[in-house]
Formats: sequence, structure tokens, C-alpha cells
Amino acid sequence: MSGLPTETDGGPALGRFADNLKRIPRRFLETMFRGGRPDSDRGRSNFVFQNVFLHLHSVRTHRWSLKWSTTWGLGMITLGSFLVTVVTGVLLMFYYKPYPDVAYQSIKDIHFVVPTGHFLRNIHRWAANIMVVGVLLHMARVFFTASYRKPREFNWVIGMLLLPVTLGLSFTGYLLPWDQLAYWAITIGANIAQSPREVTDALGITQQFDPGGLQKLILLGSDEVGEEALIRFYLLHVLILPLVLCFLVAVHFWRVRKDGGLARPADVDVRLPPPERRTFPVFTEAPAKTYSLAAVVKSRTPAVGNPPENTVPSMPHLFYAEAAVFMLTIFLCVLLSLFIDAPLKEIANPLVPENPAKAPWYFLGLQELVAHSAFMGGIGIPMITLLGLALIPYLDREKAGTGLWFGGSGGGRLVAMSAAYGLAAVLVVEAVAIRFGWLQQWWPGCPQLLIILLNPGTVLTVLYGIWSVWVVKRFDSTRAGALGLFACFMAGFIVLTVVGTWFRGPNWEFYWSPSQWPGH
Amino acid sequence: MQANKHLLLWSSAGSLVVLVWAALTETIFAEWRQSQVHVAENLAGQPLDIQLRQIVVKELDATDRCISCHVGMAPGETGLPHDPVYGRHPAVVHEASEMGCTACHGGQGRATTRDDAHGNVAHWPEPMIPPRYFYAGCGSCHTHLEVPSQSSLEVGRRLFEQYDCLACHRIDGRGGTLRPGGAGGGEGPDISRIGTRGVPADWYDVHLRNRQLAAAGQPVGGLPWQVCFGEIPADHRGAIDAYLQSRIGAPGLLEAKALFHSLGCRGCHKENGVGGDDGPDLSFVGTKDPGQTDFRGVRGEKTVANWLAEHFRDPARVVPGSQMPALGLTEPQIELLTLYMLSLRRTAAPEALWPRDRVRALRLGGREFARDGATLYGTFCAACHGPAGEGRRYDPAAAPFPAIGNPDFLAVASDEFLVDTVTHGRPGRRMPAWGEKEGGLRPDEIREVVAFLRTLGGVRQEPDPKPRRWAKGDVAAGQRLFAASCASCHGPEGRGGEGLALRNPALLASATDTYLFETIRRGRRGTTMVAFGTGSPTQRALSPQEIEDLVTFLRTWEGKP
Repeated sequence: MSGLPTETDGGPALGRFADNLKRIPRRFLETMFRGGRPDSDRGRSNFVFQNVFLHLHSVRTHRWSLKWSTTWGLGMITLGSFLVTVVTGVLLMFYYKPYPDVAYQSIKDIHFVVPTGHFLRNIHRWAANIMVVGVLLHMARVFFTASYRKPREFNWVIGMLLLPVTLGLSFTGYLLPWDQLAYWAITIGANIAQSPREVTDALGITQQFDPGGLQKLILLGSDEVGEEALIRFYLLHVLILPLVLCFLVAVHFWRVRKDGGLARPADVDVRLPPPERRTFPVFTEAPAKTYSLAAVVKSRTPAVGNPPENTVPSMPHLFYAEAAVFMLTIFLCVLLSLFIDAPLKEIANPLVPENPAKAPWYFLGLQELVAHSAFMGGIGIPMITLLGLALIPYLDREKAGTGLWFGGSGGGRLVAMSAAYGLAAVLVVEAVAIRFGWLQQWWPGCPQLLIILLNPGTVLTVLYGIWSVWVVKRFDSTRAGALGLFACFMAGFIVLTVVGTWFRGPNWEFYWSPSQWPGH
Repeated sequence: MQANKHLLLWSSAGSLVVLVWAALTETIFAEWRQSQVHVAENLAGQPLDIQLRQIVVKELDATDRCISCHVGMAPGETGLPHDPVYGRHPAVVHEASEMGCTACHGGQGRATTRDDAHGNVAHWPEPMIPPRYFYAGCGSCHTHLEVPSQSSLEVGRRLFEQYDCLACHRIDGRGGTLRPGGAGGGEGPDISRIGTRGVPADWYDVHLRNRQLAAAGQPVGGLPWQVCFGEIPADHRGAIDAYLQSRIGAPGLLEAKALFHSLGCRGCHKENGVGGDDGPDLSFVGTKDPGQTDFRGVRGEKTVANWLAEHFRDPARVVPGSQMPALGLTEPQIELLTLYMLSLRRTAAPEALWPRDRVRALRLGGREFARDGATLYGTFCAACHGPAGEGRRYDPAAAPFPAIGNPDFLAVASDEFLVDTVTHGRPGRRMPAWGEKEGGLRPDEIREVVAFLRTLGGVRQEPDPKPRRWAKGDVAAGQRLFAASCASCHGPEGRGGEGLALRNPALLASATDTYLFETIRRGRRGTTMVAFGTGSPTQRALSPQEIEDLVTFLRTWEGKP
């Protein structure tokens, strides 16, 4: 409070009014943040828990969590890009019309006539891609630092739900421009949804029991991609999936907070360097009790009894970190949008298939497997993978290495070895399939059921499984097996995605470069 | 925290710079705005509203914003006079405000930047037609019917000039000018587009009557009718009619189609369901997607137009393994063919909007080629058998295509034999079947072709009183003779080599004994088939009995291919 007179000062009413008028900006800020300026430790705490948006954070943050290498900001990048898509998406909704053909024209209008519409659409597209990449890398980070372990098992499962929701959001958005790219990518996706029919056909029971057909019908509302599919995808994209995502994200963040913040190694205090010169007070007392539920029931919260905590006030340390990563995400989105346009081909034409018709890039690894067996590539293997991932925290009950990169038995060397093995396996299997074909070519009368069981995807899965079993035995550790398997799958995913993206041409044939695609 | 603060500062600053830059490029630096500012600055007279402009054609589902930059072509605007970019659109058959721009020119109508609108961007499969092929755009909707071969068209054009029609009429920017001496000229209408309305059937009668009236002193225009118009024989009138019918306000396009109907391209390529099957169907070659086109063998710019031109120069270089022979075309011919290829682009449009010619071509069986024998021969046969029936040989390693204009052949081949051969082809050899179900030619058209063939050799078929089969020679003797005299060319088993394959069921079924006998006796002048009846320095003459033995032996192959 400076030398301005206070309201108790006497004087004529008009003078008091003028004073009040002058004080408005300062008073406004004071009323907005209930605790006033956060210039004491208490003020900084108030700043956090008196604020509806910030109180999801802990008042104090461990210095380990603020190290860049702990998270590389990947969760925040994902959240940031999601917020960017929400804002740009809402703006795009002003002009977008979800009806076939009209949809395409409205995208053209957004691109060419709506002021900054072209830029907004680019940002939306880039943010969506960054979100997908962010989610995948965030998952890899949590896995490799063994942060899914007790008490964070359930939050890892929530994450496993968030992954398909994120992919679903991106995938449903893919159809909305209603161009050839969109139409045929979604046609591919819908056929994958239908792929259980491959199994029921092989068993000859499709007439009686057709889950694949039902799944496609639910997705498209029709036998092929049309106006019904468009409105469904639109609703999923702008309403249902965002709501589901917000709900899951809320649980996800709540659990991060309640499970005791980010995972840290047991000997974290030894590992941390001394604090920076200009750091706000570091907290070093182990609390005997906390004033939450501990006050009303007989229990302990994760904060009780921990050794000297090494925490700093979240305001400003954590908020600077979060704001920095958030702005970095925005910068990435706008920078990419300035130089690289979101694609838009000619209007969707159900009579002229794209060749090759490709799904969005993050599904191209699966499409690579789908080329052999739609069911295994599109449903079987992804389901096995997701289920396996979700179960990891319940199978790996070890303690060593929590919170450390490649922590646990085997460590970085095992990850490198597994990645090399995974890479070699996927390259060999792909090379054989590309050079010599597969069962269909070797034995034209081959029963479909055999191909479903024995295709590059299942062979690869089994090869990876064998490796992981061997690693479990070799290192006598479940964690080591998980590390090995995860590294293998990562190598496989990357290679298959790269092959699907850049080395597949018309009729899904292999080409070294698109310039070799037959043009005649 | 310091590192995070720096990250925050620089990311924010970077974002701000990008956003400001994006805002500027979206507004002040927008290409169309710059164009309109340029026009406004150079425009004398009334001011120009700087705004986004568009032509909306609901029926064609076109929203063309091209006029945002080409502002002089917008309805009610003048633009910069005589400027090809900012001036008015040259007068054409269609009014731009009714048709929009993309219907004819291609490109992306809704785009408002140059590259996007002209379609030279990734993911846009239909770029604009390059300026020098603009008239290919007619093919988006129109299918020109009954186009004669190049020579017929040329005959008509020459006659048109010989009869001095240009004295009064103007056509494609020529003629109708002042006469020497300064008096008169240009009395007749400009008939550059007379083909679009149809040439009046009675033009000759009207002209002739006017001339008589003028001679009688009637007030119909006087002098020009007497000095510039005279009688024209009927066949010349027909040629002139054909030429006038091709004047549709698209100079070059019908000449291009006429060339297509002279080089025999349809011998291998189908277009609109009529043609051979050896090459790809050409019906939509003008809409070839540059993104899906292999440009590795192409020199120069990477456009579909240049791809086509390069392909005509050397097919095998542009499409490795292509069967198409290098035709040795001149550059003007390549230019015309490229134009025609680009015009094969029939866009999908509701049938109610189809122009009459397209309805006739696609629904009512109208023919794109004129149905006289010369044009039919040029359209379907000339590529392999040569423009004058002289035969062709593209691949030195393969047998030549037969010289079907050879008088020795035509003297012994009956009309039925020729019709039969054209209709059913030669199974197992290059000659395809041209019947309605296969190549798509109708019986009357095949008869026209055969009649035209007769004129190539200049001989009639000699009458043959004998029955189809009469040879009753000695098979064993025939076999010995075949091995000695024929096998070196026709192959020991008669399956062909330098000479053609005689062991061919279709040939043996349609050839009469007289045909075989006479072919052996007379040979084929100008080919390696010598006249065995008279012999040659290396071949003794065969007696009629020996030739009959040979024919009898050939007959033993029937049913044993």
C-alpha cells in the first residue's frame, strides 16, 4: 500500500470517489487473487490453494520434478496442444458445416476466404499431431522411468485409456474435411473396424454372428462412408470425445497430485545438485502430519514421515516451468503452421479410390500389418499391446530404479540391446514379406484362419514375446522383461510406421521412393 | 528457474513474431489484394473497390475466385486494357459470368493465391491447362462429332480459300478485309464459330440465288455476289461443309482431333469405348494427376502437358517398357496431339447440363470421327498399315505389319475376305477384331473401310468363278515344296517368321483356295513375297499343279493350329 489515501480518509464525497477510481486497477488485482501479492512463503501458498485453476497443484514442488530431464515437459506439451486444438477447433466450428460436399466447400472457405482461417486450420492440425506425438512420448517417459509403480498403477491405466481417446480424436477429425485423403483414410479405418468378420468368415459363422459388421455399422451408421458417418464423426470429434478426454484428464491430474506428485528415486536427495542461487526457500522438515484427511481419520497421507523434502514453492517455480513449456508448445504449433499447410485434396469421390489409400500416419504401422491380416493388424495386435501395457504396473512389483531413466534390472544397456533386437526382427520380417511375399503367395489355397494366426504381425509379436521371456529369465526380473518388450515394440512401431508412410505406393506395393510409383 | 524463464520469454517472443507475420501475410500481403492495388493504381477513370470477388455457378458447383486477381475479367470491370492478366477476357463462345473460369481452364476456383488457384501445389490433382493449350478446356463438356481426318479437313480448307470465300467472310482472324483498290470487303459475316450452330444446309442455294438476283440487278448487295461467288461442284461443297462444321471458335482443337484421326492412334487406344486394346484407354488422359505421374524420363517442366509431349517424342524414354513406337512426329504435330490429349477430360457433370454433342456421343451413339472410309482408315488402321496402306515396321526384330494397300493383295482378296478379316481380326496376332463388341466398329463402317482400301490399291478384285474350296493336289508333294520354298520365311511349322503365320485358323477359314493360289502365283510386289508362278533368280518357277499341291498342304493345318 503506497501513499494513496485509504477509504477511511475524510474529505468530500467527490474526492473519495476520485480516489476510489484511481485505486481500481490495484484493488481489482487484490480481489482477483485473494491472498494479495505472493511475496511471502505464506502468500505463495495462498496463491496456489486459493485459486480454482492452480489448486490442482501442490503448494510445494519437489526439486526433482522440476529437473528438465525428469519429464522433458511431455505431459504439459500434450495438455498444451490439447488446449490449442480446443481453442482453434471452436473457432473452426463457426465456419465448418458437417454435411458431405458442403463440408468440403466450407473447408475451402476456411482455407481461402475466412480471415486467418487457413492459419487456424494449420494450427489445429499441427497441434493435433503434436498431441499424438506428445502422448506417445509421455507414455514412453513414464514407462522408462518406471513411474507407473505403486502408488501410481491406476493412473497408468487412466493413461492407457487416454491414448486411444487421443488417437480417436485425431482420427475422427481426419474425416471432416471430406476430401479424398479423408474419405479413403476413414474407409480404411472402417474396414479395420469390420475386420473381426475376417475371423467369422473363416469360421463360416458370419451369418449368425457378425461383430465386425456391427462395429462398422455403429461407426459409420451405414455400409459406407457417407453423411451418416460424417455427422457421427463430427459429434465424436467436437463433443463426445473431448468430454471423455476432459473427464479422464481430470482424473489423471487429480491422481498425479494425490499419488504424491511425480515419481522420484529413493535416494533423490543424494542425486540432486545444490539449489540455484536465486531459488526460493527450500523446505527441509519432515512433516509429522498434514492438515487434510489426516486430521479427521486415522490414516497417513503420502506426505507424512518423508525425510527432508527438498521442495520449493510451486509459485513461482512450477508455474514458470509449466508456462514455459506451454508457450513452447504454442510456438511450435504456430511456427509449423506458418510453413507447412494442412493438406486438402479434391472433394471426396466414392467412385475413385485413392491409390494408395493411407490411414493417418499414426495408424500406418497398423495398416502395414493390416495388409496381411486386417483382424490381427487392426484389432488383435493393438488390443494385445494395450492390454499388455495396462497390466505392466500390476506385474512389475519391483522397487529398484523407480523414477530413474531406464531404471531397474538391465538398465539402459538392456533397452539398447532390446531396441537393436526389435529393430533387427522387424526389418527381417518386413524384408521377407516384401521380397518373398507371405503365405498367400507361397500357397494360394491357404486357409484364411492360418493367415490370421501366422502373419508378419503375429510372427513379430511372438518374436518379441520370446525375447522378453528370455530377458525375464536372464535378469531374473519382471521389470527387465517389460523394458525389453517395450523397447522392441517401440522399434517395431517406428519401423512399420516409416515403411507405411514413405515406402508404400499404389496397391500397397513397396517402393524406395514415391517417384518410382507407376504413373502410366 | 532461470532456464525456464528464458524458455518462456523466447517462446513467447517467437510466437508473437510468428503471429504478427501470419496476420500481415493474411491481410496486407495477400496476393489478390496486391493485384487489385496494382490495377487500382494503374487504372484511369473510376476507382476500383478492393475486395474479394467470385463468380458462383450453382449448376456447375463452381465458386471461382479467379477474378479476385484477374480483376479485369470480373463482370462490370474493365481492368487494365490489353493486359493479359489484368485486362478483359478475350471474347469467347461462352460468357465467363455464366460459366465461371474453372469449367474451361481447370485449376482450383476457390483458391485465392496464385499457386493454389493455378493448381501447382501438392494434393491438387487438376492444375490449370497451360495457356497455349487453353482450347483443350472445351473437352471438359464437349465431345466434337464427325471430325474428319486431317487430309479431308485440309482439302476443305484449301477449297474454302480457292473459292475466295475469304473475300467476304472472316474466319479465325483471317479474311473479310478490304479488297485491293480499297472498295468493299467484309460483306459476309464472321463464320469462325459457324460449327457451333450448325452449317446452314441451304447456304449454297441462298448464295447462288443472290448471285442470280444481283446479276438481274436486284438490290441484294451488288458487285460482290457477281465477282466473288461462282458455282461449286457438289463434292467440293461437301468438303467445304466438313471444314465449316469444324469451325467452333476453338482454333487448333479440331485440327488436333483431325490429326488424331489420321495417325491411327485408335488402332491401339480406346477412347469412349471405340478403339484397340494394346495401349491404355485415353478417354480421360487429359485429367492425369501430376502427383501420380512418373516424370523421371521427362526433360523440361514437370507438367502433364510436357509429359505428353515428351512421351510423343520418345515413348520408351518416358514410360520404360512402353510398347508404343516412336512415331517420328514433327513438333507442330506433337503440339496438336498434346492439345488433343489434354482435351480428353470430360468432367463429371449432371446429364441435364450436357451439351448436345456430348449427349449424342455418349448416349445416342454419335461418332467422334467422320464416317467416310478415308477418316475411318486414318483413325483405326494408319498407325500399323501406313497412311497409304504401304505397311509399317517399327521393330526391326518383329515381322512387319502387312501392306494391305498392295495391288497384288487387293486383286485377289474379296470384299467378304476383307470385311471378315477386319471384323474378326487375326487371333494370336497383332490384328485385333474390330467388330462392334470388340473394337467398336459397326458393319457399315467396316464396309466403308474396305471400300476405301480398294481405292488405295487402285485395282478391283478379279472375278473368281471357282468355288471357295477346289484344290485337290498331293499333300506330300505340297509338304516337300513348303519345306523347300516357304519354310525359310513362314517357319517350318508355318507359324511365321519374316513372313506371316500361315497356320492361322482365322486366315485359313476366310481365305478361299483361289486367294491362296493366286497369292503364291503372283507374290506381293514390293515385299519379300516373290511371285512363285514366274520365279526369280534364286527361286525356280512353280507349275500350277505344284501351287495347287501347296494349297492342299496348307489346308491340312485347318483345325490343327
